[in-house]
Amino acid sequence: MSLVKILEIALRTGRVTRRYPVEEPLLTPEFRGSIEVDPSKCWGCGACTKVCPSNALTLTPSGKGLVLEYFVGRCVFCGMCAEVCPAKAITVTKKFELASKNLRDLRSRVVHEVLRCSVCGAPITAEAEVRAVVKVSPITEEYVALCPRCRKERFTKSVALRIGASSGPS
Amino acid sequence: MTESVSKLIEELKRLGGRVEEVKDREVYLVVGRDNLRSLAKALYSTGAYLKTCAGVDERQVQGVLSIYYIFGLDELGVDVVLRVPVTEDDAKIPTIVLEVPAADWCELEARDMVGVEITGRPVRRLVLPEDWPEGIHPLRKDFDYSARPPRRFRSELPEEVGVPLGPYHPALHEPEYFELYVDGEKVVDVVYRGFHVHRGIEKLAESPRFTYKQIPFLAERICGICGFVHSSCYVMAVERAAGIEVPERAEFIRSIVLEVERLHSHLLWLGVAAHLLGYDVGFMHAWRIREHVMVLAEYLTGSRKTYGINIIGGVRRDLNVDKLDRILKTLAKVREEFVKLVEVMLSVPQIKLRASGTGILSRSEARALSVVGPVARASGLYRDIRKDYPYFAYREVSFKVPLYTEGDNLARVLVRVEEVLESIEIIKQLVDKLPGGPVAVESWDVPPYRRAVAAIEAPRGEDVHFIITGVGKPYRWRVRAPTYQNIPALRAMLRGASLADAPLTIASIDPCFSCTDRLVVYDLRTGSRRVLRIAGGVSACPL
Repeated sequence: MSLVKILEIALRTGRVTRRYPVEEPLLTPEFRGSIEVDPSKCWGCGACTKVCPSNALTLTPSGKGLVLEYFVGRCVFCGMCAEVCPAKAITVTKKFELASKNLRDLRSRVVHEVLRCSVCGAPITAEAEVRAVVKVSPITEEYVALCPRCRKERFTKSVALRIGASSGPS
Repeated sequence: MTESVSKLIEELKRLGGRVEEVKDREVYLVVGRDNLRSLAKALYSTGAYLKTCAGVDERQVQGVLSIYYIFGLDELGVDVVLRVPVTEDDAKIPTIVLEVPAADWCELEARDMVGVEITGRPVRRLVLPEDWPEGIHPLRKDFDYSARPPRRFRSELPEEVGVPLGPYHPALHEPEYFELYVDGEKVVDVVYRGFHVHRGIEKLAESPRFTYKQIPFLAERICGICGFVHSSCYVMAVERAAGIEVPERAEFIRSIVLEVERLHSHLLWLGVAAHLLGYDVGFMHAWRIREHVMVLAEYLTGSRKTYGINIIGGVRRDLNVDKLDRILKTLAKVREEFVKLVEVMLSVPQIKLRASGTGILSRSEARALSVVGPVARASGLYRDIRKDYPYFAYREVSFKVPLYTEGDNLARVLVRVEEVLESIEIIKQLVDKLPGGPVAVESWDVPPYRRAVAAIEAPRGEDVHFIITGVGKPYRWRVRAPTYQNIPALRAMLRGASLADAPLTIASIDPCFSCTDRLVVYDLRTGSRRVLRIAGGVSACPL
């Protein structure tokens, strides 16, 4: 009896399995796949690396530059990075066929030039970030080109001059 | 705080408890270890359930090691938390297993992880692997989250003959180990050895890179089936501790997604149960119907599983008209197909015969072990966290809690079948009443050293997260998954049963071992029959 009933259900339902990859995969419009970082927009600020729960995004100094690396092998496809990116450089794609025989294919990098202090030459931060900051805030490029230590020094010196104290043994 | 709660507090004070903090849903008491047993007895005999206990290294803030015993008063919807502090030099706490049998595991876990000796009972390692060195307790704050102590191997060879089942589960492909002692075909005793995939998630959350914001994504990965329960429970604990008011719309969305998760989980389980009984046709159709729910989940959240939409203070995805419409259409289809399938499935002789009368858990045993979820409801315990401790939007909906008194495998099947239908009705009501407004708070702040208990009715039963807030991240985050509470009941179900019924009975609690286990144990060892094969890698529940 139950056999007849289940047969009826089966026949009426027909085949439900999609013949992937011959047929299109079943993806809803909301699906979150791997991310893409647009190098022309990225500032190299590292906000995405701070919010990434799985360490898939990392910002590390390398040689003379600063490298933002996305390792899809660790990605959990949450898309939090795209939400916090101040430059709107990250897009969440619908890509999910990410397997590769080459580990290198799983890593993508954005290399940033690093701005160096105009006085002492110490690395400050990614040039792109400095350019973006100058655009939106009322600070001079000359001030931005100083590292935090040199800024502090210049500030204490100017305060010292204003109150007439000696600037110390020079 | 109602009158009956104040009366209970008075009684607990008389027995030696000192009230530390009284909140809407929780009462915190400090108890000296000499008074612990009488307080635990008083609570348990008045109908409180033990939710769990949690060892906490509070040396940095209070100079003591503590065990928090979390009791739930289902009828009042209030949790009573007993904190028993002891000094490091004299870290001994008497056992409460005689008064509260459900405390068996969590006492041993606190002993392993925090190093508080439990006196007055036989002790053994529960969570830590056999080769973990003595005297190193991973959840102490001076143990670095990334430390890897040297391993030392111990060997014990007993005399009896055992039938090994596992470490791979006979039904779900997860590492675990049951030793069934048999007399002919009859099971005489059961020894369970779990925690092969303990991933140390509670400790990992202490690592520098995890802040309040990232832990929801970690919590979601505790379980591959009911991950959203864990992330919801974590955010609820933090929100309660910090007093964050979540927008109503976000609470509705969380409830809708939680019920969608229950649908897929119960359909998955029903398929597995059919498969175990040799009825693979039922398995395939159950999973075919489940697929509609999976696609719906992806459309609502962006992912078929590990939805990733919970953040502290709300959710990341809103629902629009299209989505609401899709929910109702999918539910109508699922309901129609599910009712037909269940009708056929339950009329199949091998299912009915093999499920009825097997794996019986009596009401008294279920009560003593504080079992949760469908297992409790199939044994006549009226427990449902959605009713007893209403959270999110569950206050706004009406639904029935299925209750059976037989306590056998069939009862557990029927409870889940009815819950699927109830879930569908709950979602419809939620969609109908969905309020407008924002889906997350603009900003929030978590003050340090606040405590909160959060509980959610997962598909497998009550999931409990206990939190002590810290600076920028939780000071202690304790997770108690439902399976943790239900596995000890298997011993009662299997004793005296036929060996052939063991796989279905084990599966009937819908076990989720990865939820229960939270520390990595690797190394493959062979040797005598008693030496456990410890499986490698981290396994998740089947998706």
